Amino acid sequence: MSTVISLHEPSRLNAPAPPLLELRKISKAFPGVRALDEVSFGVWPGEVHMLLGENGAGKSTLMKILCGAYRADAGEFFHGGEKVTINSSLDAKRLGIAVIFQEFSLVPYLNIAQNIFLGREPKGRIPGTIDRRKLNRDAQRVLESIGFDIDPTVTVATLGVAQQQMVEIAKAVSQNARVLVMDEPTAALSDRETELLFDLIRRLKADGVAIIYISHRMAEVFALGDRITVLRDGRRMGEVHPAETTPDELVRMMVGRNVDMSYPRHFAENPGEVLLEVKGLSAPTGISDINLVVRAGEIVGLCGLVGSGRTEVVRAIFGADPASAGQIIFGGRGKSGGPDEAARLGLALIPESRKSEGLAPARTVGDNLVVCALHKLFPSGLFEPRRVQRVSSDLIEKLRIATPSARQAVALLSGGNQQKVVIGKWLAAGARLFIFDEPTRGIDVGAKAEIFALIDRLVADGAAALMISSEQAEICHVCDRAYVMREGRIAGELSRTELTEENIVRLGMHHG
Amino acid sequence: MGEADLAVTANPLQRIPGVAIVLLLLIAVFGVLAPGFVSAANIANVLVQSTLLLMLSLPMTLIIMTEGLDLSMGAVLTLTSLMVAIVSVATGSMVLGFAAAVAVGLAFGIANGCLIAVLGIPPFVATLGTLGVAQGLALIVSDGQSVVGIPQSVSEIYSATLLGVPVPIVLAVLAFLIFHGLLYHTRFGTYVFALGGNREALTYAGLSPTRLLIGVYALGGAMAGVAGLLMTARMNAGHPTAGLGFEFDAIAAVAVGGTSFERGNGWLGGAALGVLAVGVLRNGLNLMALPSSIQVASVGALVIFALFFDGLRSRS
Repeated sequence: MSTVISLHEPSRLNAPAPPLLELRKISKAFPGVRALDEVSFGVWPGEVHMLLGENGAGKSTLMKILCGAYRADAGEFFHGGEKVTINSSLDAKRLGIAVIFQEFSLVPYLNIAQNIFLGREPKGRIPGTIDRRKLNRDAQRVLESIGFDIDPTVTVATLGVAQQQMVEIAKAVSQNARVLVMDEPTAALSDRETELLFDLIRRLKADGVAIIYISHRMAEVFALGDRITVLRDGRRMGEVHPAETTPDELVRMMVGRNVDMSYPRHFAENPGEVLLEVKGLSAPTGISDINLVVRAGEIVGLCGLVGSGRTEVVRAIFGADPASAGQIIFGGRGKSGGPDEAARLGLALIPESRKSEGLAPARTVGDNLVVCALHKLFPSGLFEPRRVQRVSSDLIEKLRIATPSARQAVALLSGGNQQKVVIGKWLAAGARLFIFDEPTRGIDVGAKAEIFALIDRLVADGAAALMISSEQAEICHVCDRAYVMREGRIAGELSRTELTEENIVRLGMHHG
Repeated sequence: MGEADLAVTANPLQRIPGVAIVLLLLIAVFGVLAPGFVSAANIANVLVQSTLLLMLSLPMTLIIMTEGLDLSMGAVLTLTSLMVAIVSVATGSMVLGFAAAVAVGLAFGIANGCLIAVLGIPPFVATLGTLGVAQGLALIVSDGQSVVGIPQSVSEIYSATLLGVPVPIVLAVLAFLIFHGLLYHTRFGTYVFALGGNREALTYAGLSPTRLLIGVYALGGAMAGVAGLLMTARMNAGHPTAGLGFEFDAIAAVAVGGTSFERGNGWLGGAALGVLAVGVLRNGLNLMALPSSIQVASVGALVIFALFFDGLRSRS
């Protein structure tokens, strides 16, 4: 972060000015869950209020209440000191509250201007028609006001994630939003895009907009936040100021126990036999001459910038993409086939997008756990539900998957528990090499530590792991060794002692 | 976006929509193979015959853009065509017959919309159900017999010309312009893109997806009523299975025209070209004296080819 950390001005708390928006003892329950339990907090004009909490802490429920999608069971809202109600999206809009969700509320095949003014189109002369010229002019003005230089008639489907986010913000600004709620806005942004977003947020602050910002990233919590509220299990754990706290303290508040952020590992002194050897692997997906070795008992990192070919390497190893040259030797035998052969040999790919590539979200935990092991469990081809029940209960216990039962739909689990199910299904299939592509993406701090502990146990039992991660700190803490990629090639290998964030960055970047 | 623009100008061929190339290919093939294909009379014939399908394909484009489907359109067309026949025979009035057809079509469209938007029944199942109902009603009101003795005021619709242009073509062009204006220049049209692209965005904007969706299906029903007039005029009779399979051709034309079944990505111009492609294909096979069963199979093959061709192009 290049800019000065903005410090909280303590005088404001004591100032007579009421908060722009204040929530008092807001509660919301769903069947079986108290999603929010008497949560109170306020946000003043021109400040960024950080909202921290693990998945399931109640952040999304709170957001849905703020935008009027859900109605609070109990509690009061105050706007500029006056009691108000938020029962619909219209109420929220009238109060100047705009929510920017992670899943954008944009329509892909409308253009930017149409999206910004969806539902508020300037009327044309004929009833029902739209004054296109005014629409585009108004959109242009809004885009200029947030410093986004783009033609408003461009179709949204052709925009990248960062640009779509700018359109979302433009939409909120055009509605004269005075309270802007942002849900992990940097989750899909590059560093440069993040900087642009932060610049914009600082400008909005200067204009007196109040911002409620949900984040998982400590760095931005401290760089951007004026005030931090921590939620846990639907309860407000406290409000702190960035200058008066530390990341460790925040993590303790979030998870309610001391999670050591250094993820302790049992590093193998003498790694076992070579499990995977890749020689001169090239693929039309843009990787060339990849050489790497993974031994039993090791966690090997695969780092590099996004787009350096990390995912392409693991897909080629797994056989999900065809290779054009090179050898893959697994367990001493050459491997040339597709994913079915890989799975049979004991390779497991745990993809980055759990929901679309790793799981059948609508099916039960049990079904998902046995899906890769069906051949092994039921050689006769006949399905035995009781056997599934037994196998899955064992895995649920072994992996400590938090689910009411094996019959729960996977979609209802938290991100960390979903990831455990993906790992479990490969474990059931007898996998020995686990390839992880961003294993902790979208997973909160506490669950991350659990996932790493699980991987540590797997390799201690004689398996091995090859792990892609963009979080260099994770690679440094968890891996025995790491390969760093640059532009489709292996730029270098770092041993345990050489493994520092600095070295990774140096190898991964173009040096002048 | 600068990059995308550059890519487009670098290869202008890529800009030509796939459906236009498919249509030109079909014209070239039948120009060589089918005797009498390239003649003013036959070209006029293809155009006039395509008008009926266009009337269905325009609303079908909107319906598919909402990630929906209307399988009942052919059966509702049968029913509205019979309504035109029965009412005009009984009263002697084309206008009353037309009004009855649009009313019946509209009723079915609204029913489809309510089943889908209010009760949440998947479009495939809901419209399959109304297909059965409409077909059954058609058999009941016609007693399984053709309705003949259609007044001249009805049959004239198909044969008359306006300033030298056949009336069906005038009506089709008019319908196209109305739908074009509706989809691209009105609030309703903008929201059609959102129904398929991001329904939540509508809710957050304070709009009712339910009412909009009913509106889209109601349009489909009403247009089946308009098409019913053309059909009865064309056959000079009402026939209890006249509309059989028209929903298939309409969906085919829309798909060939490049409208996606996902995310609200649709194109009316493409649907019109798709209608012509289906029309040319059927006409060409007719001229080659191939049986109609081959035509159905060919339309199916055309859909598969067009989508495959589109996929190839977007990959290259």
